Amino acid sequence: MIMRLILCTVYIFIGALVFASPNMSRRELLFAVPVPPDFRQSRAGQHAIRMFRLVIVMVVAAAAGAMLLSPASFLSMTAAVAPIAIVLAGVITFRWQNHALAVAAIQFTGSREVEMSVAPDDLPRFAWLAGGPFVVLAAAATWLYLHWDRIPARFPVHFGADGQANRWAERTIKGVYGPLFFGTEICSWVLIMALAGWFGSRRSRSRPVMLGGVIAIEYILGLLFALIAVQPLTAIPIWAIVLSPMVILILLIIVMTRKMSEPWEPMDPTPNECWKADVFYYNPNDGALFVEKRDGLGYTFNFANRWSWALLLGLVLVIASVPFVLA
Amino acid sequence: MYTKQRMAQGPRIRIDAASGIPAVRQIVDSLRVLFVEGQLIPGTMLPSVRRVAVELGVHFNTVAEAYRQLAAEGWLDLQHGRGAVVVPRNVPVVTNRARHDDLHNRLRGLVAQLRAEGISAASIADELRAIAKVVK
Repeated sequence: MIMRLILCTVYIFIGALVFASPNMSRRELLFAVPVPPDFRQSRAGQHAIRMFRLVIVMVVAAAAGAMLLSPASFLSMTAAVAPIAIVLAGVITFRWQNHALAVAAIQFTGSREVEMSVAPDDLPRFAWLAGGPFVVLAAAATWLYLHWDRIPARFPVHFGADGQANRWAERTIKGVYGPLFFGTEICSWVLIMALAGWFGSRRSRSRPVMLGGVIAIEYILGLLFALIAVQPLTAIPIWAIVLSPMVILILLIIVMTRKMSEPWEPMDPTPNECWKADVFYYNPNDGALFVEKRDGLGYTFNFANRWSWALLLGLVLVIASVPFVLA
Repeated sequence: MYTKQRMAQGPRIRIDAASGIPAVRQIVDSLRVLFVEGQLIPGTMLPSVRRVAVELGVHFNTVAEAYRQLAAEGWLDLQHGRGAVVVPRNVPVVTNRARHDDLHNRLRGLVAQLRAEGISAASIADELRAIAKVVK
């Protein structure tokens, strides 16, 4: 029952994120449609938000109900399908409202400027914190090395929806250090994304916030994989490993939403016709690798820039390495 | 209007994608103003093509073409690996009649545009005099 409650909490968390998504963007954007800043308060804006949330609440309630009430034989399937259903409902309803609001779309206009000097585009001082997750992972590796003899010869590494272990690893280099290898890989990729985001986007006041957010994500991932790696020694409860990154993520989202939705600067006047489905930016005439996204806070790739594909390929390689680094 | 927060003080150029004027011409014209006004003096190194393209939201080739045009006019020295450097330039006397007519027509077009937007001829004349005094 505890596992069912944990999974319900996860679904409610995912649902809450999707539910809040209309608020996680600039006032000039609603369901990725560029609109006047006061459009949200209009009848059409309110109606769109209400309809979106109604669907999400219904789907999350159905997912949580299915998880609590489904027979044990259907538990694994429900556990897999429910989060996909919530996300899918969010995407479909988002697109639905995006279409509905298309008639209200405006084109952001204005000029861009650049300082004609070779002053270095230095990273902010806090950027050195990006090394922290690697220190955490290295510390976990050192601790495991020093307590090698205390690690059980066989320990669980995966748990089913019923809370029972269903996959085991042995006390080998791969079995013990695998999560740390993978954590290092994913943190390296996130770090590269952070640097590419800094140097490949236009200078603006939201750029340092974006960098801070990406570094925070790097910390969440670093801590998560360090906790997973030391679990055989410390017996940290699975619920703690699952929920602690979520709590940090919620705090991060709240901070990022507050920071990035501040009306510091007008919206970047990226051409509407370069936004495919109002989500994917493809502009071969824009030198930027990253631009401010329209379907939420933060930045997104300019898919016309070949480096965007190189970065995505990096992620694919990291994911593809799972069978080789994890037991 | 979308205008970036000024991070540091220095000569800046600005382009407006919605103006209908090609980006390369806006960059060339804006930089030429900075050269003529002495805001970018000989020896100054300009930012890389990549940085300017990212900030202005234009293609790298657009900025490279603007730099090449200004080099052809004698404002810049483009050396591979060294970037674009402002160089001293002797002001040539316009002897080409066609070039003279082209510049005259551009000025005439601009004055006509100002008049069409309701600015009086006297104001335009005053403004032009003031600009001519400031621009070296």
